[in-house]
Order: sequence, then C-alpha cells, then structure tokens
Amino acid sequence: MVSDTNPHFEDVDAETVDELLEQMVRIRRFEEGVLDEFSEGSVPGFVHLCHGHEASHAGMGVAMQPDDWLAVGGSRLHGQYIVKGVPFDEIMAELFGKATGPNGGKGGSMHLADVDRHLYGHAATIGSGQNPAAGLALAQQMRETGNVVLSTIGDGGTSRGSFHTALVFAAAWNLPVVYIIENNGFAISYSTQQQVGIDSLADYGKPLNIPSYSIDGSDPVAVYETISEAITRAREGGGPTLVESRVTRLRGHFEGDKQAYRTEEEARESNAERDPVTNFQERVIEAGHITAEAYDALVDEIDDEVGAAIQFAKDSPDPAPSTAYEDVLRLPLYGQGEGDA
Amino acid sequence: MSQQAPDIDGATENLTLVQAVRDGLQSEMRDDEDVLVMGEDVGKNGGVFRATDGLYEEFGEDRVIDTPLAEAGIVGTAIGMAAYGLKPVPEIQFLGFIYPAFDQIVSHAARLRTRSRGRFTAQMVIRAPYGGGIRAPEHHSESTEAMFAHQPGLKVQIPSTPYDAKGMLIAAIRDPDPVVFLEPKLIYRAFREEVPDESYEVPLGEAAVRREGSDISVFTWGAMTRPTMEAAEELAEEDGIDAEVVDLRSMSPLDKDTIVESFKKTGRAAVVHEAPKSGGLGGEIATIIQEEALMYQEAPVERITGFDTPFPLYALEDYYLPEPARIKKGIRDAVSF
Ligand SMILES: Cc1ncc(C[n+]2csc(CCOP(=O)(O)OP(=O)(O)O)c2C)c(N)n1
Ligand SMILES: [Mg+2]
Repeated sequence: MVSDTNPHFEDVDAETVDELLEQMVRIRRFEEGVLDEFSEGSVPGFVHLCHGHEASHAGMGVAMQPDDWLAVGGSRLHGQYIVKGVPFDEIMAELFGKATGPNGGKGGSMHLADVDRHLYGHAATIGSGQNPAAGLALAQQMRETGNVVLSTIGDGGTSRGSFHTALVFAAAWNLPVVYIIENNGFAISYSTQQQVGIDSLADYGKPLNIPSYSIDGSDPVAVYETISEAITRAREGGGPTLVESRVTRLRGHFEGDKQAYRTEEEARESNAERDPVTNFQERVIEAGHITAEAYDALVDEIDDEVGAAIQFAKDSPDPAPSTAYEDVLRLPLYGQGEGDA
Repeated sequence: MSQQAPDIDGATENLTLVQAVRDGLQSEMRDDEDVLVMGEDVGKNGGVFRATDGLYEEFGEDRVIDTPLAEAGIVGTAIGMAAYGLKPVPEIQFLGFIYPAFDQIVSHAARLRTRSRGRFTAQMVIRAPYGGGIRAPEHHSESTEAMFAHQPGLKVQIPSTPYDAKGMLIAAIRDPDPVVFLEPKLIYRAFREEVPDESYEVPLGEAAVRREGSDISVFTWGAMTRPTMEAAEELAEEDGIDAEVVDLRSMSPLDKDTIVESFKKTGRAAVVHEAPKSGGLGGEIATIIQEEALMYQEAPVERITGFDTPFPLYALEDYYLPEPARIKKGIRDAVSF
C-alpha cells in the first residue's frame, strides 16, 4: 500500500489551506528567532532546527484534534510543539531554560512535555517514545476515549528494535495509533541509503499488515490528507497506520554541525528544491489563495509574536535552586536535603 | 600507586584529552589489525566529538564502521566480533544512550568468559563520553559509572588527563575482557598535556595520587578531579588543610590498596563524584574504608555529589555539579569533625 500521493491543492477547503500555511510560517519564523538567539548565546545546550520539516509538522497538526495525543520523536521537535498548540512564549522560555517553560526550565528543547495539551514528553533516547505511544493508544482503546495517538520518529530511530516492537504491539492489538517516520535522509551524518536496502521506510509496516504510506512530506496537503485518513481509520477502530513522510533537512543536524559528510552543493540543491515553506508560499499565491501582501502581513504578525516570546523568555527568571527537587520522586534511601541544593 | 607526572623520554605532542583518545585508537589500529572502531557517525564524520577524526581516511570503512542508530545492535554486534577474535572498540555517542545496549553488555559481554568456561572473552572497549557541564540535560550529561561497576565481568575506567586517556585506552584495548571506558567530555578540550608519540600502557585498576597530603584523603575521578584539586590548593592556603587528592581512574576494580593506604595516613576522607549520591560509588569507597581501616577513622566519610534527581538543564547545572566551594565545605566538615 505504499503510494506516492500527490493530491491536488483543490482537494482541501480554503480554511484548511489557511491553517496549513499559517502553521508552516509559524514554525519557520519561530525557528529563525531561535537561530538568532542561539547565535547570541541565549539558548543553552544543543539546538536542532526544523527547517525542511514544516509541512510535515503542519499537516499532522492540522489533521489532529486537540484531545488527540502527540508523542514526539526524532530531533526536529519545536515545530511539533507548536502545532500541538503550545504557545510561543512557553516554548521559548523552556528553550532558554527559564522557570516559565512547561518543564520549569529543567527540560529544554528536547524534553518539552505539556500533559494538559496531550503532548507526551520526549526522551532524548531516539526511537524509545513509540512504545509509550502504543501504551497511550491501548489506554484510549480500553477507556473508549475516542482519542488517537500520533507518534513521530526520524529515519535514524527506525533502526532500533524498540520502534519495531511498538509496531508489533500496535498491530497485534489493533491500536488507535499513527506512526509517522519523518525521513529527512540523514541520522546526523548517516544517510538513509546506507541504513536500509528497502525502497521506503514505510515498508517496515508491511510484514505486520499495517496500512503504510510513503508521501512527500514537504507538501502539507499530502501530509494533511494522509494523516487525516489514518486518524479517521484509527478512531473508527481500524487500527494503526504507518506513514513515511519524506522531507529534507535543510540545515545541519544541530546548529554548529560542520556537515563534513555532505558537500555544500548537495546541501544547497536540496534547499532550493525542497524548501516546503517557499514552495507552498509560491503555490498559494499563484493559486490566488492569498495575495503577496497578505502573506507578508502574516509573516510580520508572526514575527511580532516571536519577538514577544523572546522578550518573555529573557524577562523570565531562572528556576530557583530549591526547585531541583520539585516533581522528583525521592525514594527514602539517602536522599539529600533541599539545603544542599 | 603511580605518581602524578609521568616520566617521558622521546617525542611528545601537546594534546587535549579527546585528541589523546584519538591518538590511542590510531596507535592500536596501526599496531594490530584486529582492532577496529564502530558506532554512529564515527566514520566519514569523524565522531560528533571528533574522537575518531581522520581514522576513516587512514583505515577505511572496514575498520572504521558507521553503524545504524541502534546501540543494542552496535554493542551486540561487537560482542560477536570479539568472540571470533576481533577487537572492536564501539563508541556510544553519549553515555546516556547506552541503555538500549545494557542487555547486551550485561547478558553477553560481561558473562561470555564465565559462560564459555574461559574459552571466549569479549575483548572489546565500549567508549562513551559522559558527565555534565555542557549545558544539556538528562542523557547528554549523566554519570552512570556505578551501574557498570555493579556488573561482575566488566572493567570500568575513567581517565582524567590526556596522558592517561591514551595509555589507559591502549591498555583497555589489549585487555582480554570487556572494558567500559568513560571519557569526561567536560574536559575533552579543557587543557593540553605532553603525550608520547609512541605507544604505552597505563595499567588498568590503579589509582593515581594527584596531590599528596596528610590531613584528609579526597577520592575523585573524571572531570571532578580538577575542581577537587582546586579546592585542595585553596584549602591549603586559606585554612592550612593539607588534603591528599586521589584520582581513582578505575571504578572497577577499585584500587583498594591505594584507598586504604591513603586513608590510614590521614584518618579522614571525602568522596567527590557528579553522579547522584544514593547508590553512587561514594558509598562503596566509604565501606572499603570501614572494612579495612575502621580503627584509623576519625570522622564520617563526606560525600560531595550530584543530587538524587535527573540531571537538570543549564540554570541548575552549576548547583548540581560539585564545584570548589562545595567541595571545600565538605572537606572542612570532615576535617573539623
Ligand atoms: C538512542 C540514541 N542514540 C543516539 C542518539 C544521538 N543522536 C541524536 S539525534 C541522532 C540522529 C537522529 O536521526 P533521525 O532519527 O533521522 O532524526 P533527525 O535528526 O534526522 O531528525 C543521534 C544519533 C540519541 N539521541 N539517542
Ligand atoms: Mg533523519
């Protein structure tokens, strides 16, 4: 069932096109803001930007209902937090390691969790989150919530046994879960071609008879339609779906990656051809869906929101040392007094 | 008990710790064609910390093997290769990503010798950068050396200087049993040291006295060695406390003789480690002292450690990691008891 869907723009209503466009621009502008701040030294640790994954994130975000769960994976996470509805202020504050972030500044870019918004937190062990996603899905099934679980993973993470085990459980129990492999061709320096001898990572669903699709993940409409269909199937008791969303990683693995493993030319080529944001922008303007002026206004409006989020993060306090033990299960072994912190 | 400054004749190069690791790998790969490295991004990319820089170009893809992202696969495959007589040096990109491989390490690598009644051993070195101080939370910063030291059948080694990094790595590669080799990434590039060009071994299982003293023995390892030395120097100046600083280097086996000998001299001890206190190796060291030198003991053993929490991000990191001020306080408490 691997198909290369290329649905027509006209297949979705105007409102959906608006939403897809807005989400994509939100992700790109947010990430540009993060990039500036990281270069200034305001953002600690590592930063993995979503450039190239915007359509994939937007498509799944718009297809999801607010009560559906998202268990994020891969390294391109900020866009996934954004489409799950976490406000810019909160994400930015967490990236800055500030007390006003959803994790109180103790999680940062890689570990943002927002249970109220049904965003399941991420462990940095790539390829481990798909199993809890199956469990969340089993719980939805048992409690008949009608909610579906979406779980993302990068191409690199699919090498891990834990991912395949998740598929086995999802298939065995017909779970309401949609697994989305965001295949950007690279796990840091290791290319997908080196990794597997199969044509498409969606083939991983085949032996388990999981409906599997390989789509152009830089086309937001294709992503939206495929994921919507998968969500509907899951909600109606039709079980899991596996989607390979083929995208491009437009920047290095992390900011500062010298990319010794690919030539500048290779990187440039993929940028020009597969930048989902400029491509969709051109498409919507050409189709007369939005004027160039209205598009610019949208960008300006979002940039203001990004600027305000950066200011919010800067103005927010660091977590107090006494919060080190907050929300930590402390078993009565030795422990340590708060006074030590 | 080996002393601080190695005597070096012959040509040397001024290297950082991570460069010394690379040098050790290269040296063994030149000397022994059974030695090979494997792991995520170790080949064309030269490793995310550049510990394998240039090895792919020199030794080719059969001996510098880029693997898929799967730690259980990396370590498990290396074990099978080792059983056949190759000497793989798998790299785990960050120690925090080793959990998927734990089954392979514990169930296979650590037990192959016993299970085959000594016919096979898993002659391999699992290298991993570890520890905090790089402004990244959780997996990217944790110190779980105690988890490995707890497993019979594994050696656990932690260098804290470029000289030791090269010599201990070479000794580990030549050791017939599996070695977990943890590299303190905070000091990967913190300072340089003269490292011999030639191949040499720093024996496994031996602690190094970094500073001799008579008032208290301070046991530490890895990146904590530097703030501990700093604290010791400051205490000598400020309080007239003369601390002996012992860099344990080997978490398994622990160098009991050096620990006990030092303690008998001073009668007081502190342990500095960045791992959480509960279940950390500080407890093991305190017990060795109790068992072997109870009658010399003049004060409770102070443990100056990370907290019993997941490793926090950024703002709290400076509190989490023992630094000179906290180390000095612990030492003063033990000395004034
Ligand atoms: C279990 C584990 N091993 C290694 C790493 C280090 N690491 C972080 S991201 C990454 C590559 C991930 O590639 P992919 O899954 O394709 O996601 P992408 O970065 O392309 O979004 C690696 C090896 C990790 N986070 N977890
Ligand atoms: Mg990838």
